[in-house]
Amino acid sequence: MVINVDQIITAVVAIVAVPLVLLGYIYLGESVIERLGERIQLWIRPYFWALPAIGFATVFMVYPLLRTVVISFRNNADDTWVGLNNYVYFFTFPDTLTSLRNSLFWLVFYTFFAVSLGLIISILLDRVRYEQAAKIAIFLPVPISAVAASIIWKFMFDYQPPGTTQTGTLNALLGVASQQPVAWLVNSTTNNAALIFVGIWSITGFCLVIISASLKAISAEVLEAARMDGANEFRIIQLIVTPLLWPTITVVGTTMIINALKTFDIVYVLTAGAYDTDVIATQMFSQLEHNHNSRAAAVGVVLFVAIVPLLIVNIRRFQQQEEQR
Amino acid sequence: MSRVEATTRQATAGVGAATGALDRLGQNLQRLPLHLVIIIFCAIWIVPTIGMIINSFRAVSDMGSAGWWTTLFPPHGFTFASYQQVFNQEGVPSSIVTSILITIPATVIQLAIATMGAYAFAWMTFPGKNIFFIVIVGLMVVPIQMTLIPLLQLFKSVHLNGTIVSVWLAHSGFGLPFEVFLLRNYLGGLPREIFESAEVDGAGHAVRFLRIAVPMTIPAIASLTIFVFLGVWNDLLVALTFLGTSANRPFTVVITQLVTSLGGGWQFLTAAAVLQMSLPLAVFIFLQRYFVRGITSGSVKG
Amino acid sequence: MAGVLSKLSSRASALGVGFLLVAACTTGGSSNTGGASSTDVTQWVAWGGQELAAYRDVLKPFEASTGIKVHLTTNRDSNNQIANGIAAGTDLPDLAPGPTDPVQLKSWVSKGSLKSLESFLDMGAYTGGTYPALTTAPGGASDDPYIGIIGGKHYLMMVKTQVKGLIWYNKKVFTGTAPKTFDELLAISPSQYGAQKLFCAAFESGTASGWPASDQIDNIIMRQNDATFYTNWIQGKVKFTDPQIKLGYQTFLKEVSAANVYGGSNTVLTTNFGKAGDPLFKTPPGCLFLEQATFIANFFTQNFPGTKAGTDFDFFGHPSMGNSQFDGNINGFYDNISMYNDTPAARKLMQYLATAPAQQIWANDGGTLGAIKSLTYTDPIFKRAADVAGTAKNLLVTAGDFMPSDMQAAFWKSLLDVTRDPNSLDSVLSHLDAVQKAAYATS
Repeated sequence: MVINVDQIITAVVAIVAVPLVLLGYIYLGESVIERLGERIQLWIRPYFWALPAIGFATVFMVYPLLRTVVISFRNNADDTWVGLNNYVYFFTFPDTLTSLRNSLFWLVFYTFFAVSLGLIISILLDRVRYEQAAKIAIFLPVPISAVAASIIWKFMFDYQPPGTTQTGTLNALLGVASQQPVAWLVNSTTNNAALIFVGIWSITGFCLVIISASLKAISAEVLEAARMDGANEFRIIQLIVTPLLWPTITVVGTTMIINALKTFDIVYVLTAGAYDTDVIATQMFSQLEHNHNSRAAAVGVVLFVAIVPLLIVNIRRFQQQEEQR
Repeated sequence: MSRVEATTRQATAGVGAATGALDRLGQNLQRLPLHLVIIIFCAIWIVPTIGMIINSFRAVSDMGSAGWWTTLFPPHGFTFASYQQVFNQEGVPSSIVTSILITIPATVIQLAIATMGAYAFAWMTFPGKNIFFIVIVGLMVVPIQMTLIPLLQLFKSVHLNGTIVSVWLAHSGFGLPFEVFLLRNYLGGLPREIFESAEVDGAGHAVRFLRIAVPMTIPAIASLTIFVFLGVWNDLLVALTFLGTSANRPFTVVITQLVTSLGGGWQFLTAAAVLQMSLPLAVFIFLQRYFVRGITSGSVKG
Repeated sequence: MAGVLSKLSSRASALGVGFLLVAACTTGGSSNTGGASSTDVTQWVAWGGQELAAYRDVLKPFEASTGIKVHLTTNRDSNNQIANGIAAGTDLPDLAPGPTDPVQLKSWVSKGSLKSLESFLDMGAYTGGTYPALTTAPGGASDDPYIGIIGGKHYLMMVKTQVKGLIWYNKKVFTGTAPKTFDELLAISPSQYGAQKLFCAAFESGTASGWPASDQIDNIIMRQNDATFYTNWIQGKVKFTDPQIKLGYQTFLKEVSAANVYGGSNTVLTTNFGKAGDPLFKTPPGCLFLEQATFIANFFTQNFPGTKAGTDFDFFGHPSMGNSQFDGNINGFYDNISMYNDTPAARKLMQYLATAPAQQIWANDGGTLGAIKSLTYTDPIFKRAADVAGTAKNLLVTAGDFMPSDMQAAFWKSLLDVTRDPNSLDSVLSHLDAVQKAAYATS
């Protein structure tokens, strides 16, 4: 077994040094800032604190994002400007229209079910003693990589000719109910639903964990007081818990919407977008595969523009949060 | 505090309007149906994975002829062949070490930076704050493939290409948007009074951040840690791109050699998948203790 | 309190900065330059599992005699990674598979990223000993991007090959004689031999689903038309709505029609290609024939331990489509290695891999043909396949592999779609024309 001692040292150093350096940065910076005038402090301090995050994001993401926007208006060989050609292609080509439609399905159903299930389950689990075990059960799909998930669901969706032994769990259950097996991933009526279901299955644990963390932050005394005053559970959930969780639900919901738009792995490994299951990200991937970088860039820009309104909603939410506290 | 009081009063006022049926239902929530619903959910979520775990202990010819539930009855046909094949691959143990060496520092780096940045966005005002926020969080949609070439060039110019440090930095860059997003929300929800009373006591921003904000954000940081950890742990593309020709490769890269280019040997992937998901799962189970209520309760006085 | 803290913190931060400096130095040391020049070779391969084990066997004598260490990485994304590396100017592996996209091939050659075999290999021995179809452009042309020849120089070194379009059968079930033409094949009655249907087929293959279908249709089209037509089609000069291509699709549909294929279209589309031949060995047999390449033999013996090549299963060549002048066209594919960094160690390895003893190890490990003509095979299947490869007039490549990848993806999907719904043939073909226009466009 070849152990690269260099790498181990570097790793340990990084784990220890980075927080220490940030600590030092904070303390040193603050001790300098505190000596400055009141008004300068107010102005300079936020930038100082936000600098590492903004700096990182700028270097790693903003520059490529700008490049992406530029490329989307140029041709593939990157030597002439082609204006809106790539965008026109994206919105008029039949394949991309199918993928837009499917991505819309994902947007609506995936988001709605993942967030609602996460919310409902976190509230339910809060009331039972075996909460931790159940959380682990629902969280189980989350660390599963896309390749592994494809194997799992191949086993679940497996199809054998009618009349032979079914090896797929779902078709076996159908067989017990004396129904014919269904080709889940091939059949147009079922395939999108099946893929979206797999998506929901993989991500609900994520929503659950995040919403649950916020749920725990709701002070127990508040809930106790409400119960002692005679409010029943539904009322409490409706009038106390949900409003207090609303910011988190918005954050999780936004993340799920972005996830839905970016969904790639599940569709790619289970059907590769065949049989009308294509989504935006698989389209983009196939463009990238053939170095149609400019078209892929156009798709990326469209996605970015699509979520800006969403983020504005979030900002409004945060501003409300700030006003209320 | 006053808002919470107002909500409580609203709730109690609502009680008067509740019907008798709702009251009974409310009590029923405590009983059997609750458990039943939870158990059904858990079953739906667990069964598919259990299927794969069981299949990882079967021979490929069995898997093709009968479903995994048949192993519950004799003859069981269990075998360790798939796991043996995984460990027989050259470089598997060191790849696990490399994966750990990639994942932990990357996780620590991005969480530290994100927490600081989120605190600034949550509790300070500055011009352009919202624009910065939209840009940072909006970066979540940027597909990674578009960033690869510019980043490769960047790392090369600072002589970091091919090193593990470049992988950490790349992961941190990609993960920051979501983390800032989530932590800003959580940090912003902390009660203002705590910070104010600390400020009155003479604590500077550094102390308020480190001794008040961070401890109170532990549940959120704990849950983020899990997701960041497993995102880096399961990654293949970033490692392949930035480690490139280096001799040390993470587990995800090494297990691609289990299957032939035509897909033969896929049964070994079941064992590899079980192994791969066990570490993030262990991290999750370990961090569960931080998902407890009560971190903030009692801290607001008056 | 604050004072103490700030003193501690300034020490801490000094410590932290010190650590980072140490880190910077150590990472500088471990920065990888892609392998030293005369003692190490870095190589990316697409092989895994048994293929990889076979390659390691091939490497053992080389490493033992030269002391050169070969660092292998299985990388199925190597084309993209190398493209990124070339664009960014970062390190490339010494050896890796060459690109299949002709445009990319020409581009990398002109940038000097791909090194020509002429610079280090004995070309006389190479072209003389390898299957001619793999190393010589038809008509002596100076450019044949499909086998890596640009400007008269070779850039892909062929090491392995497979023959495709073979018709496999269970010897204990089908006891008749091999049909000479496709019509004769269709006329065989499966019930005469106790089987349910004529053909088995399975097109599922994860992210590459549809490739077995494209093999089947390629073998049809290359026997209904001449090699130039076939190559024009690959280059996008023949539309998909062309009557000959449509004829190819219609013939293909006969192979997967509900009447002829085991399990109907649902089974064909959901079954993984590795299990395509399973019904051949069941009782009662689900089908008589499976069309596949030489590598499927391994899947048979893996899924049905105990079956033996030659005694339990065998193949006959793809029947003629009625135009005997095109019968010399057969379909195959090759594994190749290209050199990206010209180092002494990499040269030695490439020279070794071009020798018969090296490739014989591959042949002995089974499951594939080497690229050299003179190898011996103990497996009866591969012995016969080697004859087929040696006597072929034209070894034509798999069409989809050399089309732009978005065209290939659409092509594969079109085959899945028509299998699912044969009535959609016309709309599928005109859709492919639209994709073709966009895919071959240079912007």
